[in-house]
Amino acid sequence: MTILTGKAEAHRRLQSDKSGMLRKIWSHRADYAYVLPAIVVMLIVIAYPVYYTIELSFFNTPPGLQLRDKIFTGLDNYTAILKSPVFWKVTSNTLIWTLASTLIAFVLGFACALALHRDFAGRGILRAILIIPWVISAVAASYIWKWIYHSDFGIIGAVLVGLGLADRPPNFIDSVSTVLPSLIVVNIWREFPFAMIMMMAGLQTVPDQLLRAAKVDGANAWQRFCHVTFPHLRNVSTVTILLLAVANFNSFIIPWIMTGGGPSNASHIWITHIYELAFGRQRWGVASAYSVLLFMIVMSLGYFYVRALSGNERKDGSV
Amino acid sequence: MTRISFGRAVLHGTVSTALMVSLMSGSALGAPVDLSKWSPEYVRSIAGTQDFDTAGDCAKVTPLDYKGRLTFWYQGVFEGDPDLLRQYYKEFFENFRKTYPNIQLEEQALTYNDLLDKFRTALLGNAAPMAVRLQILGGTEFASKGYLQPLKPEDVGYSTEDFWPGAMKAVTWEGTTYGIPTNNETMAFIWNADIFKRAGLDPDKAPATWDDVVKYSKQIHDKLGVAGYGLVARKNAGNTPYRFMPQLWAYGGGVFDEASANPTYKEVQLNSPQSKTALQASYDMYVRDKSVPVSALTNQQADNQPLFLAGQLGMMISHPSDYNVMLDLQKKATATDKDKAQTVIDNMRYGLIPTGPDGKRAVVFGGSNIHILKPEYVEGGKVDEPAAKAIICMWTSPEWSLKMAYAGSNPGNLNGFKTKWMKERLDSIKFLDVTTSMLPYGIPFPALPQSPEIMNIIVPDMLQNALTGAMTVDQAADDAAKKVKELMDGGL
Repeated sequence: MTILTGKAEAHRRLQSDKSGMLRKIWSHRADYAYVLPAIVVMLIVIAYPVYYTIELSFFNTPPGLQLRDKIFTGLDNYTAILKSPVFWKVTSNTLIWTLASTLIAFVLGFACALALHRDFAGRGILRAILIIPWVISAVAASYIWKWIYHSDFGIIGAVLVGLGLADRPPNFIDSVSTVLPSLIVVNIWREFPFAMIMMMAGLQTVPDQLLRAAKVDGANAWQRFCHVTFPHLRNVSTVTILLLAVANFNSFIIPWIMTGGGPSNASHIWITHIYELAFGRQRWGVASAYSVLLFMIVMSLGYFYVRALSGNERKDGSV
Repeated sequence: MTRISFGRAVLHGTVSTALMVSLMSGSALGAPVDLSKWSPEYVRSIAGTQDFDTAGDCAKVTPLDYKGRLTFWYQGVFEGDPDLLRQYYKEFFENFRKTYPNIQLEEQALTYNDLLDKFRTALLGNAAPMAVRLQILGGTEFASKGYLQPLKPEDVGYSTEDFWPGAMKAVTWEGTTYGIPTNNETMAFIWNADIFKRAGLDPDKAPATWDDVVKYSKQIHDKLGVAGYGLVARKNAGNTPYRFMPQLWAYGGGVFDEASANPTYKEVQLNSPQSKTALQASYDMYVRDKSVPVSALTNQQADNQPLFLAGQLGMMISHPSDYNVMLDLQKKATATDKDKAQTVIDNMRYGLIPTGPDGKRAVVFGGSNIHILKPEYVEGGKVDEPAAKAIICMWTSPEWSLKMAYAGSNPGNLNGFKTKWMKERLDSIKFLDVTTSMLPYGIPFPALPQSPEIMNIIVPDMLQNALTGAMTVDQAADDAAKKVKELMDGGL
């Protein structure tokens, strides 16, 4: 009898919650109507491709067949990927690429932001100059860097040989051991201005009176940075790092244009490899399985990003 | 009543038909080009011997007042092509619009390396153009998948015999023809006579064998400090197979048996001892002797051209058009660079591509084909066939197949060799004789849907694996052979 009463109570609460939610939705119907077009567009351009990619990841698509004649193979694409030595090579490249690019770009950007936060003559000009790598086209930048690095007539090689510092131009992008670090340098050069802008914006929110009070209390510059500035920048730092990490996981232009993933797969990262599998080799199924795995990783990063943002908002008291 | 004997009637009919055909071929089409006589002298002897009325011929296929709409994609001119070719492309489209003023043409030019990717993507979304001009590798891939409509030269007023048999093979899948060759080419061996002289080599003699290329390359590098041979090993770039396959075939290797008279494409030969010897030759130049550009792994032929013009490269494989490309690049040079470039141009020599140890000479039989898509894969679901045939008739005509290949290739329609423009071309384009002489040595890529992946990815991967030391020569060849086998077996 008690159990029955309990169940009935739970049912009643559920019904009440449901009607409460419906009431809430109804009372916000105008808001829902405003966002409806955006939701419809998102369903078409995001949800459907995601669904189709997941579906395709369970099929084999040999180059002699049209996509509509694909063959269902269950989880074979996933097992083939995990067994492939190229997968582990590409994954290790992607991790090195993402971690190194993200962290170094962040540290460099943060350092520049701190330097530019102080008032000095020519600050505006310097700030504008430092933003240039971020605003120029990644395609153009890749071609310029390819020329700078060129193993036979690159600028760096010419300068080093001209100054007598090297007998022959160094091999940056035609060697399996140097190609990835060389591309990471280009990527950091492209991305650090973004981190700089984010951190500069963050620095504006650090209360000046707190810094002055800490100074009066005898805190040195390092202590003021550790105990006042950095705690205030923790959330903006998290967001910046997450955004950089997501962008780096999804990088394509720089490695594709500069090396095409070569030599010998040494600069292939996930996206370039997926592109080659899909468009170069027409393995739509395997490429889709790769994409699903990448999607899961990026979505988990997205979760932390949203959490970081929500944390910000709660601390601000806005929600 | 007159009685007509059956035998006499047959005889009469046969004679009349033969007479009619001979008159037709004599007046309208002329004698077909005799490929068995092919030589520079023969090409010179037929050049400028026949006039063609392109608009008149195409009017028989699609009336000149036809009203329609056509979407058309083609592999256009890019940075490595001479300005002369750019001019002819422009003139072609102007001429087409003048000839067919009521056809609304929406054309789109794409580069060699982008065209396949974009076309494949468009096909997946049923958003392809009505007609497309693809590189020779593409025809079989799309025909085998059922995207293309059957199309043969007879459909646009020409005869199959007017085209190279090798080129027709590349547009044929399971006995049906799905396209028409627009142009066909074979490359030649180019060297800098001045570099040869300074390196102690005979300036007027090309290396006879690939072993000589390895030797010459080392000698040039050791004596002068410049790169000897312009090796190219970039992935996903058409330039790589066009330069490596002649070497592979000359040593007696191959991906399959594509270099034989009647290929079956059954057995993978990429790891045969002969194929490994060919790969070893590249390894020797890149790794052992360091006599080729270090940038070979990320370079394309377009990167070799400025190196050659700057006197930093002794030998390379390329098109007849490279002479014009050098002239264009020289015009853009400034100050003392201009004179240096002129010296290189004056010392530019063309020769036949070297042979293998057994005297075997081979070159890739390249070119492009033009196709019509099936309506279900085209944006809007409709194909304007008369409009498509009009542009195909015009592009593959003796006149335009010659003009559109003026500096970079050769006409797909063999009658192009008979036009006055061919005569003009022989007089104005240096070294054309050499590249036309290479045509009979041309070997088409395997006519298989898997060919683009084999040539653009597996073969360059094999080279990169060996040249970077990621694998030994043997391992790289075995790995590539395994990949080809898996691919042919329908692996993931």
